[in-house]
Amino acid sequence: MSLTALASGVRQEAVRVRDELERRVATELGTAPHAVSDVYIGWFAAVDAAVCSAKYRADGAHGWTFPGWSPALAAAAVGRAALGHHLHLQHRPSHPAMTPPAVPLPDPAGAVRAWMQAAARGDSRSPVAEWVADRMAEKDRAALAACAATASRWVGGFVRVLGWPLPGDLGIVTDDHDNPVAFRWRKKHRISGGVTIAGSPDAVLGKVTSGASHSLVIHRPSAPTDTGLSERAAFEAVAAALSTGLVPSEVLFTLGDTGERTRLDVDGELLDHGIELIENVVHQRVVASTEPETRAFDDATPSPACGFCDHRDQCEPGQGWLDDPCRRYGGLPQLQ
Amino acid sequence: MLADLLNSLAAQNLSSHDAPRRDALTDALDDARAVVAAAAEQATSVGDWSPDEPLRLTKDRIRWLLQCPRRALAAGSLAPGNIDDLLLGVIVDAAAKLLALGAARPVTVEATVAFLDAQEDHQVSQHLADIGEAAHELLEEAALRLDHLNTLWPDIAPQWWARVEEPVRVPLADRTVLLSGRLDIVLGGPPTDTAGVIVEIKGGRWHDSARSETHFYSLLLGLRDGVSPSHVVSLAAADGATHVEEVRPAIVGSVARQVATALETATSIAAGEVPEARPGRQCATCPVAGDCPAAAAIEFTGDRAAA
Repeated sequence: MSLTALASGVRQEAVRVRDELERRVATELGTAPHAVSDVYIGWFAAVDAAVCSAKYRADGAHGWTFPGWSPALAAAAVGRAALGHHLHLQHRPSHPAMTPPAVPLPDPAGAVRAWMQAAARGDSRSPVAEWVADRMAEKDRAALAACAATASRWVGGFVRVLGWPLPGDLGIVTDDHDNPVAFRWRKKHRISGGVTIAGSPDAVLGKVTSGASHSLVIHRPSAPTDTGLSERAAFEAVAAALSTGLVPSEVLFTLGDTGERTRLDVDGELLDHGIELIENVVHQRVVASTEPETRAFDDATPSPACGFCDHRDQCEPGQGWLDDPCRRYGGLPQLQ
Repeated sequence: MLADLLNSLAAQNLSSHDAPRRDALTDALDDARAVVAAAAEQATSVGDWSPDEPLRLTKDRIRWLLQCPRRALAAGSLAPGNIDDLLLGVIVDAAAKLLALGAARPVTVEATVAFLDAQEDHQVSQHLADIGEAAHELLEEAALRLDHLNTLWPDIAPQWWARVEEPVRVPLADRTVLLSGRLDIVLGGPPTDTAGVIVEIKGGRWHDSARSETHFYSLLLGLRDGVSPSHVVSLAAADGATHVEEVRPAIVGSVARQVATALETATSIAAGEVPEARPGRQCATCPVAGDCPAAAAIEFTGDRAAA
């Protein structure tokens, strides 16, 4: 395919995705008897609503909004920032250039510690850096240690699976605008009706231009199911198309626990699935706005996730699934 | 002992030292991979598992499939036992992880409980709050064990790439079977040039099952990374016992055969066969011993824990 054809194709497909999504979202919002606004859709909401729409609705406003930074939620952002900081300290432009062979392998815990100290000094400015600085000021060593433990696991897994040195055309996505090697990714895209779609890849491979192909890179310390990977890829591909105006060629997962790299091609089918996932979130928000205080769980989708669901006590389908004596646990029947 | 091991291994590197041993381990790992893969393919043809609902084999499940298949089906149940002992183990485990990540010494019980709470693990702090005055004794014992740990634990140089709570999963048979585990502490191994070392922390006294756990983890890590770890270490905080063992090809092969046998048993259960109950000392702490005819038929020495 010629570069011109490639450029034209990725732009056209992105336009198609945007137009189709706008149409579907407008249709959904048009059915709402009350105004539904400020719908923020990240990958977690898209996958959560797909796994069980009843649970998503029942989570309510508390579950639909960002709960604030915590050690667990901050860990991946800290991991990315720490890796970017390490690369910056080694004076390596992360995107795009060849990686000098002398760049030392980062010690995950050391890299995280170094970045946290930089954040505390104000050398790094980003929402997560502000949280770290705040925790430092409060001498909340426990929170910082908990975050550091998970963040260092993130760094170690990402580097181990992707390989060191990192690919020369890899850009690590961070919010740190003071880091010259940070890859700035326009994460949020607002469409009509007050709906914001926010993608969150961890890195990008290749140039994000119409004349070249690029891949989204997502690191998962623990691999989800194949369905989970597919849904995340579908969402991120659509979100990327919206925010950049270009469709990525593939989504590459680096899976920490299995050590695998899994590639999913971004084609029309995957993009359509991503559109459906986003449309579903809007639909569920419309339904939630009309539900009575006692939430309906008739359309719950029982699965192993029921064991961890905050609403299982009110959810009859979920309770039925959990109480099923024939249910398998980890693939085998269970004795009570 | 851990410090001695790390110093010794630091003088070596994967690319040059002890190539014959490394080659033998590589061969053993390849053979082990073939054994478990074949067993998983055979199993999944009967077991009706899928990538979205696979057969999950952890160290505990494998242990019980081999020792008492009926017990293996109580995977979701808590074993009866002394809650204080359980939580002492949790405290020691968490403290070791803080040390591995370079926390300032000494790591205290207070700091460890705060670390657990920050990870949304409130079982210790909740229990301490629940038992009120009685917490004093538990905290004293925890402090004693942490004293041992603080003394035993060496400084870990950055080259060792310390990782804690490392999740490791090995998918088999098109992801319908998953070998999985969460390793307390992993040092070295890919992508570093240092040898891999697995460190398992025991809150209580050292016991022989700690060895079999580390053997299973060495296979898991080897299958995932393509390189077998060099050594496994189990460290018991109650008595300070440290067991260091070199990973040998015989260990790799033995564990692979155990996994294969466990898979055969899991397959028969999935096919509808009644799981065999094999009574023994473990009945005293089995969560499903209450209605087990085999357990009821034997006598115990010592107290039987309440179910």
